[in-house]
Amino acid sequence: MRHTGTIASRELRSLFVSPVAYIVLTLWSVIAGTFFLASLIGFQERLIQLTQFQMLQRIEMMNLNDDLIEPFIGSMWVIILFLLPAVTMGLISSEKANGTDELLLTSPISIWEIVLGKFFAGVGFVTVMSLIVAFFPALLFIYGEPEVGKTLSGLLSLLLVSVTYVAVGVFASSVTRNQLIAFILTFVLLLILGMMLPFIVEISMAGSGLGRDSSISQIVNWMSTGSHVERMLKGLIDTADLAYFFVASAVFLMLSKTVIESARWR
Amino acid sequence: MDADASAGEKERDGQTVIDVRGLSKRYGDFEAVSELSFEIGEGEVVGFLGPNGAGKTTTMRMLTGFIPPTNGVIRIAGADIFSEGLDARRAIGYLPETPPLYPEMTPAGYIDFVAKLKDVPRAKRKDAVLRALTRCGLLDVSGREIRQLSKGFRQRVGLAQAIVHEPKVLILDEPTVGLDPIQIREIRALIRDLAATGGQTILLSTHILAEVEIICQRAILLHHGRKVLDQPLSEIVADGRSLEEVFTRVMTRETEGAAA
Repeated sequence: MRHTGTIASRELRSLFVSPVAYIVLTLWSVIAGTFFLASLIGFQERLIQLTQFQMLQRIEMMNLNDDLIEPFIGSMWVIILFLLPAVTMGLISSEKANGTDELLLTSPISIWEIVLGKFFAGVGFVTVMSLIVAFFPALLFIYGEPEVGKTLSGLLSLLLVSVTYVAVGVFASSVTRNQLIAFILTFVLLLILGMMLPFIVEISMAGSGLGRDSSISQIVNWMSTGSHVERMLKGLIDTADLAYFFVASAVFLMLSKTVIESARWR
Repeated sequence: MDADASAGEKERDGQTVIDVRGLSKRYGDFEAVSELSFEIGEGEVVGFLGPNGAGKTTTMRMLTGFIPPTNGVIRIAGADIFSEGLDARRAIGYLPETPPLYPEMTPAGYIDFVAKLKDVPRAKRKDAVLRALTRCGLLDVSGREIRQLSKGFRQRVGLAQAIVHEPKVLILDEPTVGLDPIQIREIRALIRDLAATGGQTILLSTHILAEVEIICQRAILLHHGRKVLDQPLSEIVADGRSLEEVFTRVMTRETEGAAA
């Protein structure tokens, strides 16, 4: 597996000489800043309102974690869904377009090393993105006393979602040599995986006699990333949720490996 | 044809480094390569000839393990390209038809990356990279981005990539295609130099006959995916015939044979 690091570091370096990385990181920072500011102003306004109406009990219930950090991070993992495809689209498709897949596949390395190398390059990138987001809640520690554990759990959920999305991106990038197709495919897959599954359940359940608690709807809900983020945002780290991110990433990486392998046989 | 084919399979000095038996590649109904067998001994420089679409690139891609054959066995330096893929691929340096370059990297960074992929030991890597860059005349441009380099230089970077790990076998797919006459001469000189000093086994494809006459000791001629000629160059041109005459004669015979 020692080639995994070689491939990952080359990919990261190439990513950071391309404008795409900087455009994505700039947009990400600006959006994060805006959302954080919006959450902060919202928090303040509510506090002022509650003070005016002398609702002391409600004021006591407010805290930085539940009313500021949680909605902030909760909105960022939706934003990443729109930006990440631009980063992952070229991971494998550009090798095919460049002809460099011929170098990788004729070198004494395994396909797993290629897939994992690409995956870890993406993981490195989303780690940078998560650190940018982490900067904003960190500011709150200067002026207030948010709970450290809850904040970290929220950030971890963002990182884990992004990592899973990277695996999806690696897969989408492995099926085509065209970056635009890879982008669209990643985007559609992420939309379904991240947001649409619960709606699909609602719609399909409405007509049938099956209830929302039926095993099918539970399974589909389990497959949706959203359901696993919510609890972590509230500070609950459950092994079942961690297992979800691990399984989802593993499935898409295995699919990528299969795609690359079978492409040789055509 | 039988006489031509068997002459090429005579006993040769040294051990066999490329051993191909009954190699076929089928794409649906189309047979790109069929029943191809040949052996290439250590240190031999062999030209792979044939018109476009004869199956040269397909064969080379199978030899390097890039695509699997439909049928047949390939052994490189004694290792089966499938069951012992890592060992076989480690013994190969390969320059594909289009050099596999990352345009945003520098030649130095790129060759270092390839050296890592090809398992050059860490202690020797710096020297190996420097030697490959030097041999291919890339020292002056080693810090520039590959995308800024001319086609000739890019081809050299491709060649440097193939030789950095000092492989036993060099497989070069049309190494001089698309270059200007001066660049062609330089690349040819480089290949000859590699053959002379490196003792490497070289298999290179081309459709330029003169190239084979200059560089190679033996020619294998492919036509419609079949081997139609396999002889040492000295024998082919022995009775004063030029390679071009032989080439044309064999090709016409094959085409007529197919029509009959």
